[in-house]
Amino acid sequence: MEAATKTVESGAKEMRRRDFLAWLSGIGVAGSALAGVFSTFFFMKPRVTFGQPNRFLIGRPEDYPSGARVAIDAKRVCIVRDGNRVAAISTTCTHLGCIVAPSATGFQCPCHGSQFDVDGNVTGGPAPKPLAWYGVSLTPSGELEVDKDNEIDTGNYLNV
Amino acid sequence: MSTEKNSAVKTLVDLPKNVVRSVFRNPLPSSDRGRAATSFTNFFLHIQPVRVSKQALKPSYTMGLGLISLFLFVILTVTGVLLMFYYVPSTTQAYDRMLDLRSSVAFGVILRNMHRWAAHGMVALVFLHMCRVFLTGAYKTPREFNWLIGVALFLLTLFASFTGYLLPWDQLAFWAITVGTSIAGYAPLIGKSLRFLLLGDSTVGQEALLRFYVLHVVVIPMMIALFVAVHFWRIRKDGGLAKPEQEKGTAAPAAAAGAIAASSPVPVTTVVTATAPARRFTIQGLVRGPFVKVGKLEEDTVFSWPNLLIAELFVLLLTIAGVMAVSLLFNAPLEQPVNVMHPPNPAKAPWYFLGLQEQVSYSAFWGGIGVPGIELLLLVLLPYIDRGRKGIGRWFARERLLANSIFLTFVVVNVYLIVIGTFFRGANWQFVSPF
Repeated sequence: MEAATKTVESGAKEMRRRDFLAWLSGIGVAGSALAGVFSTFFFMKPRVTFGQPNRFLIGRPEDYPSGARVAIDAKRVCIVRDGNRVAAISTTCTHLGCIVAPSATGFQCPCHGSQFDVDGNVTGGPAPKPLAWYGVSLTPSGELEVDKDNEIDTGNYLNV
Repeated sequence: MSTEKNSAVKTLVDLPKNVVRSVFRNPLPSSDRGRAATSFTNFFLHIQPVRVSKQALKPSYTMGLGLISLFLFVILTVTGVLLMFYYVPSTTQAYDRMLDLRSSVAFGVILRNMHRWAAHGMVALVFLHMCRVFLTGAYKTPREFNWLIGVALFLLTLFASFTGYLLPWDQLAFWAITVGTSIAGYAPLIGKSLRFLLLGDSTVGQEALLRFYVLHVVVIPMMIALFVAVHFWRIRKDGGLAKPEQEKGTAAPAAAAGAIAASSPVPVTTVVTATAPARRFTIQGLVRGPFVKVGKLEEDTVFSWPNLLIAELFVLLLTIAGVMAVSLLFNAPLEQPVNVMHPPNPAKAPWYFLGLQEQVSYSAFWGGIGVPGIELLLLVLLPYIDRGRKGIGRWFARERLLANSIFLTFVVVNVYLIVIGTFFRGANWQFVSPF
């Protein structure tokens, strides 16, 4: 009787060790697969991009007379001067990434007909968000610098 | 001495014959046994069954749509590899290489035309093939998973075409990809990072061109080849193409097995495999016991050699002729080189995404992600939702009126949106008449 119980016990133990090893191998395989997926993801995600810099100089405040709305397509911003105030509004449409053009009423997107007012607020079309405003600062050399990484609130001008 | 000479001569005389016999194991078949052997002793032919149902051979049943898709993929692989010898995925060189194809590469224009039109054709044909499978109810048990693989192949085909669209690096390419990847950017939570990962940058540029190139020439074609292999494998394992239920007679082998068990003096276990219900040619099921059950050949099947082979070669010829004809008549478009400052007005995505773009012009999220996402989900879940057993293997079966009506409504709406987006949208996405 005792012997039988022992056999059963040892048999159960034997199975448990095998189960444990199978379980461990399973973890190993799944873990390797998961590590592979994650490392591929981090590999594919570039740390450095080689496009245009997001901070750039756009000239002196005097270059922009009051009331001027100058679109710099290469940088995808529109420089707006209103009296002593300067702002940089994005000209990348918030809809599908086309370049909007300044119009009499604000901005107009050529791709899907989105319309914005002079401050970049949506007035028509499919655009889901207003045009972004970027931070503008005056460098010690007296030039204006736009920082596209710094999105600021609509209507937030820089006094010059 | 003389026998040796004779044998040497004989060896020489028989050489061509022996070489041929070593390559082709069977002479051209004159008997049914030979026709069967020809199918299963040849590497390329053994992919097909020895016998094939007459219905599968009927042009009006399949219209050869899946086969045409495969042959277009083969044409795309061959022309694509050839084009790779002259293409450089660089923003400064790609467009010049396109011009070189015209001016200084022998057959450069026709190769590019064939690649372009075959790519458009493959998108259309894969979609039509999907319509055929739906309208004949061919996705039902046991073919649910093969329908899923088909959906994956449809998406891969779209993605292959989309990644190839950027490679000429002209205005059409650049703005189509700008618009197309922006649609992807609307996916909730992951949209922005997905777009960044795909482009390798925040805008379409050198990184995007390189990534699209690698995806286009290596990653996606290999995935398509793998999925196609599984797709074909499962067609055979699921018993060939879908056929009407009554002709399959699934009850027959089970009943026969039952009869054996009942009449046997000793108890025998009968196991009838249900894996290939539509195909039983000689052995009707696996019967464990002292019997080997041999049945008659099905009368609605014919030998693959030469019936199926001739049909397939005919479709191949037709496909090549079609692609060649279009490529000789129409040149693949090549617009001005990329100018990132001047989007064309209107900027349009590739035609198969213009339905999406038309929807996006009403609502960015719902048009670009919400509605297509729901449509895709329905496609994926379809064989698990629609469990009915009626109307399999027939076009527009009356029992499937509701399912077919819903599907055709989706098809008509999407085709309508694509037509509107392609022909009726002008500057600023305003409604214009093409006439």
